[in-house]
Amino acid sequence: MTRLRRRLVAGLIVAVLSVQIGFAVNGYRDPHKFFAFQPFNESSTWQADIVRVTWNGERVPISGGWAGYEWDELVGMAALRGPGRLRHAYMGVGATVDFLDDALDWVATHTPNDHETRYFEATVMTFENTRGPTMTLLRSIERTVP
Amino acid sequence: MSGVESHTIAGPAPALERRSPLDAALDWSGSVRAVAVLRIAIGPITLLHLRPFLRDALDGISYDDQFWEPFIPWLPHVPDRMWFAMLWIGAAAAVLMAVGLWTRVATVTTVVVVAANLLLSQTHFRHNRAFLAIVLGGIALLPAGRVLSIDAVLRRRRGRPTLPDVAALWPLWLLRAQVCLVYLASGISKLVDPDWFGGLVLWDRVVRYQHVLEPTPLPGWGVDLLTERWMYYAVGPAAVLTELFIGVGLWFGRTRLAAVWVAIVFHALIEISASVEVFSYAAIATLAIWVTPSTRDRIVRVGGDAATSRAVMAFVRAGDWFGRFAVVRAGASEPLVTVVDRDGTAHTRFAAVSLLLSRLPLTFPVVAPARALASRHRRNARAMVAA
Repeated sequence: MTRLRRRLVAGLIVAVLSVQIGFAVNGYRDPHKFFAFQPFNESSTWQADIVRVTWNGERVPISGGWAGYEWDELVGMAALRGPGRLRHAYMGVGATVDFLDDALDWVATHTPNDHETRYFEATVMTFENTRGPTMTLLRSIERTVP
Repeated sequence: MSGVESHTIAGPAPALERRSPLDAALDWSGSVRAVAVLRIAIGPITLLHLRPFLRDALDGISYDDQFWEPFIPWLPHVPDRMWFAMLWIGAAAAVLMAVGLWTRVATVTTVVVVAANLLLSQTHFRHNRAFLAIVLGGIALLPAGRVLSIDAVLRRRRGRPTLPDVAALWPLWLLRAQVCLVYLASGISKLVDPDWFGGLVLWDRVVRYQHVLEPTPLPGWGVDLLTERWMYYAVGPAAVLTELFIGVGLWFGRTRLAAVWVAIVFHALIEISASVEVFSYAAIATLAIWVTPSTRDRIVRVGGDAATSRAVMAFVRAGDWFGRFAVVRAGASEPLVTVVDRDGTAHTRFAAVSLLLSRLPLTFPVVAPARALASRHRRNARAMVAA
């Protein structure tokens, strides 16, 4: 191996391992722990009451669907399905609540047949490794006037 | 040794000048046969990983039909058809990688597809998928198609000289370090978390899934025991220390076999107790990277009558995926199995069979610990006699 190639290879190895260690350290800050390899980190649980707040101020639970939409079909990912029952937050409470917050925005902007809803609101109850409950209120962005 | 079986010995290139350990590591060369075995195993594992995405693609469901969130918001939106095509190309590439046809291109394509799909949306992220991408990346950096591949067969048929299975192994160093970082990152995060190290997380999870345990053949007292809080004051630290032991023990010759065995049991238990997609399979397959990268450096001499020796030779050749043994026919009057170790020591009878079986991947999980226990028992007996 030439000196130049050896330096390039050494640089590549150091760079790759540094990035991986960087992600591992970042996992202590990032609720999602992306690429941090910290699996099964919590036994936490969560449950959310999600409602649609309509333009006339009604608060309508999303269970049972609305305007041809179903929450579970819209969110897809298993971690956010069935929010009405207490479930294991297998990604961790922080990641679950963060995803739920973003999912509310996504649902608000990807349901064109819904002409009633002004915004979505989720009252989230979490138990972090048996401790709790902690209540969090999440609200989607406001939809445009139909 | 048989004249038809080549062998490779791992080790750094001869030193012409005084070199740093880093230089020695970068010049390290050896057989890529174990990586070829890993390549063959990772192909179907990649297909298993892609299966749910392919199922959605068949149903016409794209990643952006459901909640998704890009890792990098300013990257252009991948059109649905391109995503579908990418998945099928990835699946085809995984098959080609496994069989070893256009191996390098197929492996690079597979890693690109798996990584692109992973990075497409934050909702696609799973630790096991990132681990799979790392392993595929490591395989792509190595010439893993030189052996156990259609490429190698085609090369022979075309009359072209066979490529040696020896190659520069610096990518193997990198892959080994990355895999160990996975175990250490996971273990350290649990070590510093009092809820994990104190067993609370594991205990709470078992209690919450008690309804899964109850219909199993476990007796009632067994289920009660598994849900006792006090037990997890020991189980929590044991689980954490197991991960740390694997991450460190794999590096040292004296602890490597034990760490590999512990890792197999560890991943089997995870597979039974949790839903981790392809992680258990990928992690167990990836233990192949810890096989000493040399082939045919031990000799199995097979004696006895012709029919028995043929059967034994066929058994060894079929089970010796990593090519650890050069198998030769000995005279009919010689013992059925004699194993000549790397240092020239000849083992016969039980010692030979146990050494042989402890180095074959399928019999390793049972025979290696039994051999270690027997060896320990013999040492203790000798010590008592000496005393």
